[in-house]
Formats: sequence, structure tokens, C-alpha cells
Amino acid sequence: MTAKPRVGLFVTCLVDLVRPQVGFAAVKLLEQAGCQVEVPAAQTCCGQPAWNAGADAHAVDIARQTIAAFEGFDHVVVPSGSCGGMIKRHYPEVFEKDEAWLARARALAAKTHELMSFLVKVRGMSGVTAQFAKTVCVHDSCSSLREMGVKAEPRALLGSVSGLTIDELKDQQTCCGFGGLFSVKYPEISERMADDKIADALSTKATVLTGGDLGCLLHLKGRMARQGKALEVRHAAEILADMGGEPALGEP
Amino acid sequence: MNLDPRNFQQAAREALNDPLLRPALGRMKTHFGAGRAAAVARYGDFEALREAGKAIRDYAVTHLDELLTQFERSVVARGGTVHWARDAAEARDLILGILRDAGAKTVTKGKSMVTEEIALNPFLEANGIVPVETDLGEYIVQLRHEPPSHIIAPAFHLSKEQVAETFFASHTDLDPKRSLVERNALVQEARAVLRRSFESADAGITGANFLSAKEGAAVIVTNEGNGDLTRLLPKMHIVVTGIEKVVADMNDVAVLLRLLPRSATGQPISTYVSVMAGRRGADESDGPQAFHVVLVDNGRSKLIGTEAQDVLRCIRCSACINHCPIYGAIGGHAYGATYMGPIGAALNPGVMGVENAAHHANASTFCGRCAEVCPVKIPLPRIMRHWRAVEHSKGLAPRSITAGLGVWAFAAKRPGLYRLGASVMAWFLRMMGRRGTVHALPVMQGWFAVRDFPVPQGRTFQAQWKARRQNAAERIGLEGGNSRSRQQR
Amino acid sequence: MSGGREAILQSIRSRRLVQSPKPQPYSAPKTEGDLAEAFAQRLSFWQTDVRMLDSMADVPAAVADVLRGKNMAQRVHIAPDSALALDLPGIEVLREPPGQNDAAVTEVPFAIAETGTLAYPAGKGRPASWHFRPVLEIAVLRASDVVPELEDVLKRLGGVLPSTLNLVSGPSRTGDIEQTMELGAHGPKSLAVLVVKS
Ligand code: SF4
Repeated sequence: MTAKPRVGLFVTCLVDLVRPQVGFAAVKLLEQAGCQVEVPAAQTCCGQPAWNAGADAHAVDIARQTIAAFEGFDHVVVPSGSCGGMIKRHYPEVFEKDEAWLARARALAAKTHELMSFLVKVRGMSGVTAQFAKTVCVHDSCSSLREMGVKAEPRALLGSVSGLTIDELKDQQTCCGFGGLFSVKYPEISERMADDKIADALSTKATVLTGGDLGCLLHLKGRMARQGKALEVRHAAEILADMGGEPALGEP
Repeated sequence: MNLDPRNFQQAAREALNDPLLRPALGRMKTHFGAGRAAAVARYGDFEALREAGKAIRDYAVTHLDELLTQFERSVVARGGTVHWARDAAEARDLILGILRDAGAKTVTKGKSMVTEEIALNPFLEANGIVPVETDLGEYIVQLRHEPPSHIIAPAFHLSKEQVAETFFASHTDLDPKRSLVERNALVQEARAVLRRSFESADAGITGANFLSAKEGAAVIVTNEGNGDLTRLLPKMHIVVTGIEKVVADMNDVAVLLRLLPRSATGQPISTYVSVMAGRRGADESDGPQAFHVVLVDNGRSKLIGTEAQDVLRCIRCSACINHCPIYGAIGGHAYGATYMGPIGAALNPGVMGVENAAHHANASTFCGRCAEVCPVKIPLPRIMRHWRAVEHSKGLAPRSITAGLGVWAFAAKRPGLYRLGASVMAWFLRMMGRRGTVHALPVMQGWFAVRDFPVPQGRTFQAQWKARRQNAAERIGLEGGNSRSRQQR
Repeated sequence: MSGGREAILQSIRSRRLVQSPKPQPYSAPKTEGDLAEAFAQRLSFWQTDVRMLDSMADVPAAVADVLRGKNMAQRVHIAPDSALALDLPGIEVLREPPGQNDAAVTEVPFAIAETGTLAYPAGKGRPASWHFRPVLEIAVLRASDVVPELEDVLKRLGGVLPSTLNLVSGPSRTGDIEQTMELGAHGPKSLAVLVVKS
């Protein structure tokens, strides 16, 4: 038997703060997929808020810290397309003019994966052992779709959950309006985009909205809570790790 | 009507509350979005076509001096004249000079975003020359004294009832009891009214979708045929366009023609493509007797060699706009600029100044849909981010944002401090939360303006993880087990 | 005026830039099968009345039939010096430019199979504006003049463009009011193409 691959879990700042269960779900799934999981204590945030705001100096410092903390692993796995996209697509841009760090950024980018695509594509996982007897709709985050190329994997894994049915959104391409600081800087535009997405979700048979990015989910749940709309919202990893019985996002 | 890009936020709010805009945006999205998707699916290898288009435009943008001088020689060889305008004012003066020399009093105009950019119409009017827009959408917004709200569908934001009102108010010589209920009645009325303008105009002004250097030709695509009547019926044809529109030759144009209409409306080709090379030939019975091209720089050349250079590849197809969720929420007028949506967000800060157009670059979630559909693969979000970095480095970003980012970044660079801060924050949010969500906080007001914040589940992941590992280690110590037991569970 | 020219060229040349290489020639997906058939099928999709005729002798009857179908008078405009040698019994032929409610019969030098497009290089007997002035255009095309793609038209023109080259793929249209397509915006409301096989 070959040695277990060492996986560094990049928890993401939102999971760390708001939804630790997603982190534990990720650990459980990765272990089921035969990985040895470690969670470096030297991680904070991927630096995307700084990078997207054009605060490049901050982004450089944070990216260096992340690279140093994770470059020793065989793989870096992130339960978010957005933070994964930051590492995989944007760290090399952050260091475009710094050759030494560029090489390290590229090396890290090459082994960084979004959680569900890692399970399916790298570890060959075809299903999970979990129960969730509800109908769900799946929200693809823009970074999962367009930066990480993740679309089929969450559906393949969710499809294997016993009792679960997927009823898809009509529009699977359009942004939900989160966009990090965008949601704070342009709340009314963000609100309209959220409302369109929520209307789409409510028009399906789903009672649960799930997805791979906690940012979008917090935004959509936050908006639904404000309006008194009652869809259950939870990260797909929780369902896959058979933790779907815990209270959902924003529920006491 | 917002004419100042710095008023973006207020104008966006008003647009969101405009009850007529929503259905119009809905129509626009389905019409153009579905059209493009079908056209792309029907084409063989669209990705290869995009690569070819990108390569052609990249070559052009990095050989502009050669191609423009070649274009000039070719136009001159065909009896035309090329004029060069550094900025909007110079362009307006040049055009006025050409028209005055010809004694022109009225001009018909084909659709041209560059003449919008240089605000030509009000200038001509102020100087006693009557410009008549002939693209139906442009004509409608001209009658209403509005700017176009979309680069290829200038009046998409209006209902047919609004258009009918506009025609009743403007075409006062027609029977006030006529019926303008049907769209086709509106189209036929505009056709008849504008035909008179075409026949009496002293000069015609069009834009250009492409300039072909080798042949000295300007190429326009239209569905109505108005550009052709603009060129062919008056004695003089003036093309006003940006310096970046030039490509090497007509074979390059042929490739780009496969991309442009498919990306714009989903048509494999527009109804009319007109290749216009100079004045009428000796054996021809119609066409203009004089041909001028006004090449406008207006901030374009200074983008070459910068992080924003790729934006010069743009062929103004509008695909990025049609697929943009921000534009899809607020429409075009809120931008307060000629170019709206993602192309505006990538271009405007460069040509209008970051201090004026910063909102355009900031009002994006970086969802990436624009870059995904752009026929010449312009990395639009990347260029927007570049403008944000310029804004930040010049100290122009809002204090509230930079201060918050500063505090956060200070912690994010110190993992120990960060973990402590996150733990405090998790505790604080749990204290604030009632029934699962927090309704308001004195910070992040933009967030709480429209939504709640779900309360953290418990202690932070890092705190729980540490505790779990300590427990495991203690257990191992007690049991004398091996250090790999954690993974063996 | 040359101040602007030199300043702009200077501004362009002063930029540090990496020149992109000359692009590789692009080859579009090729039209399979009979070119005239492909042309006819594609153009028909765009609200165009495309008719396949066996010979030039069938043209007069087809012209009369198109006019009848549109409830128009048996009267057409044909450009002076047009290469179309048509004897149109029972149809009045006018030689001046058509007005916005008239019909014109025009000669099509080339057509493009890839997109279902008529290609009109302007020239003697082929005034460009005639494709835009009338309400009905009846275009006469020889099947052997259908080429695969635009590049072939450029080749046949021998690298020399006429003052105007019009590519026409259907009647004039607009979607400017409520994104709903309406025909006859400025140019012809109807287009008929008579494709003569020999
Ligand atoms: S940026 Fe790209 S998608 Fe947008 S208008 Fe220009 S060419 Fe079209």
C-alpha cells in the first residue's frame, strides 16, 4: 500500500468563524478518501479581500504566509471555490513580478483543489455513505464554475447520498451577488441579484439550498432570513459527511 | 438621467427602483443571452475562433502605428482623407471643419459609439448643424434627449408605448389620430420620416466596426441598413472611429465577422455588412463623392503597454454587457458613461480617469461571466482589479473600506492574533444573534442594510480543532498508543 | 492638423510593448455538400424567399410571381447598365433609382454559402444604394457564383476592393423596440433571391 497523501486543509476564514462543521466535514471526507489531513495553524485568510480591493501589499504578505504554511503538503484542499480560486488562479498573478515567489506560488497553485473536485477527480471517490432525505438545489459559485471548473463533482457526490434528490436551478450561470466586499459596497445591487437567485431557488421543489462556497450561502441565507423566506441552507460538505442533521445555517 | 460616472451609486439605486427597466432588462438578457448560446453551440470550434480573433486583435494593438499609417496611405490612394484627433475636442473641431468646408447643414448619422464618446451631437447643434440619428434605437433616444443605454441596443430600456409617445410628440406633422399600437407601425413611421432625412442630408457620419489597413476600408455591420443609406445617399461620408479599430487586412476582418454578430445577437452574420473603401468609383452612379476618416485617440494610445492594454482588443460586441449581472440589475444609464457594463468598467477608468470611473471598476463581483463570453478573450475582471489597485495606491479608495481592510490585514498577517480575534468575533456574534441570525451591527452597514448575518455555530474551527487534537494527544498519552491513531479512526 | 497625427503616432510608439506575432491563418469550418443548396437553406432561414430556377428563361415568370405574392404592381426598377439581360414581358421596367415603396431587380455577382449571404461589389450597373432603397429586392444569382466563404469573394475580387462591397443576408430588420424583430427598418422589407442553376 502506498503511503497516504498528506493533505493540508485550508479551512477558509468564513468556515473557521461561522461554520466550523464544514471544516470537520472536510476532514472526515478527506480521511474517508484515504488522506492524512493536517490543518496548519499558520493559516488565516487567503487574502482575497485585499487582492480584490486592490490592496496589493496586504495581499502579497498574506499570500506569502499561506504559501509558506502549505507548500510542504502533497495537496492543498479548500472547501470553497472562491478561496481555492484565489490560491490557484490569483496567487501567480500576485507574484507576477517577483520570480522567486512566482515559482512557489505556481507550485502551490498546481496542487491546490476545491474539496469536492479533489475527492472525485484526484481521489476517485464516486459516492459517500450519508443520509439526507430532502430535495436540494445546488448553487454553483462563480469561482467554482469558472476558476476551478467544478460543476459535475458536487452533483455526482450529492447524487450518491441516500434519500437526496436534486432539483436544479433554472439559471446555473449567474452570480448570486455576494462578491465579497461588493456585498457591502453595493448592497442594493447585491440585494437584487440575491433576490433573483432566491426566486429561482424557491421555484424549484427543493427545501434545501446547498453549494460549495460559504460566502454565497451566508449572503443568500442572510437575505432570506431578512425576508422571512424559509429555505434551509447548508454547505454541501456537511451533507456529504452525513452531518445534515445539525441545525442549518442561521438556525438556532 | 445620470451623466456623471461619480454618481453611480445613487443612479444605480434609482435604476433598481424603475419599474419599467426590469422587464426590459429581462427581455434583453433572454434575447441576447440565448441567441449567443445557440449560435456558439451551432458553430464548430468556437474556442478556436476566439483564439484566432484574439491573435488578430493582439497583433493589431501591438502594431498600431504601422497599421494606421498603412491605412492612411490606402485611404489616400483611393481619394479619401484621414484626420487624427488626439482627444474629444480635437475630434469635434475636425468634424465641424470638414462639414463647414463642404457647406453642410444637415447630417445623417449611422450608429457610432465614438461620436457619443466625443459628444458630437450637442456640439454640432450648437454650431448650427442638424445631426439626425438613423439607427432606430439611436433615433428614439435622440428624440428623447437621452444617451443610449446599451452599446448595440440603445433604446432597449423603453417600452413600445414609450416609443409611441415619443413619436407622437416629435412627428407633429403627421396625423395625430394615427395608430402607433403595433411595433411595426412605429418601425414604418421611422422608416418614412428618416428616408426624407437621408435624401436631404448634406453629409453622412458613420462609425466603423473595423478598419482594414491594407485596403483602406471601413467596415460596419448593421441589421437595418441605415449605415448604408447614411454613406451612400449624401455627397460626403465621414467615418469617425477609434484608432484601435484597425486590423491588418480584409481576411482578418472576415475572421472577426464570424465572432462579432454571434457574440452580439447570436446571428451568424448581421443582415448587412458594408465594406466602405473611399469615395465612389469613376464608373459608379452612386456613393459619396468625398470620403473622410477621423481617427480618435482620446486616451486609447496611453493604454498600450499597460496592464489594461488588452481592453483595446475589444470589438464592441456587447456580449460582456449582455451577460453581466450588475448591468442586468441596473441597466446602462446608471453608469453615466458611453461604455457601460464590464467593457466600461475596464475601459472607462483608463480613459476618463480612475478618480471619475472608480465605481465602474468596483461594482463587480468578479463573477467572470464577461471574460468567459468575450469573443477576443479580454480578461475584464483582471483589468477592473488593476484599476482598483491604481485607485488604492493613489489613496482614492473610500476611507471606510481601506481602514477596515487595514485592521483586518494587520490581524490576517499574524495567525496567533487572528485566531484570538476570530474567537472573540465568534463569541460576540453569538451574543448578538437572536434566533440564529444577527440583524444589525454598527460595522459592515452595507451588509446589514439588506440582509442578516447567520450566527456562528460555536467556537471557531481552529479552536475546536486544537481542543480535539489535545484530547487525542492526552488519550494517546494515557493509552500509550501510537501517534497515528487519529488517522486510523 | 498634422500635429494630432504625429502626437498620436508618437504616443503609440513611446509605449513599452511586446509585439504579438502575426496570427496564424484561420480556417473556418467548411460547408459540406452543394454550395448553392447550403446557401439557399441558410438564407431562407432569414425570412428570405429563395427560389431555385432551372434557367434564366424562368426568371421573368418568377419575378412576376414574387410581385404578385407581395400584392405589388408589375413594375420593377433595374439599374441602367445592369448586366442583367432580362426580357420581362408584362412588367414595366424603370431605370431610375427605386423609392422606398418600389421593387428592384438586381444582379448578384457572388454569394457565400457559409452564411447564406449575397455579395455585391459596387460598380458599373451595380449601384450600391439599390440594395437599400426599395421595399422589395429581387436578386438574380447564378448557382455557379456561390462560393464557400467571404475569403473566396475577396480572392475573386483579386485583392482590389470596389468603393463599396455590400454583404446582404436577408431583408432589413430591427430589434430596437422591445427586442422584438421587425422587418423593413430602412432597407427592403422583403428579399427574394432567384438562384439560376445553369
Ligand atoms: S469586452 Fe469583449 S465582450 Fe465586451 S464588448 Fe468588448 S469584445 Fe465584446
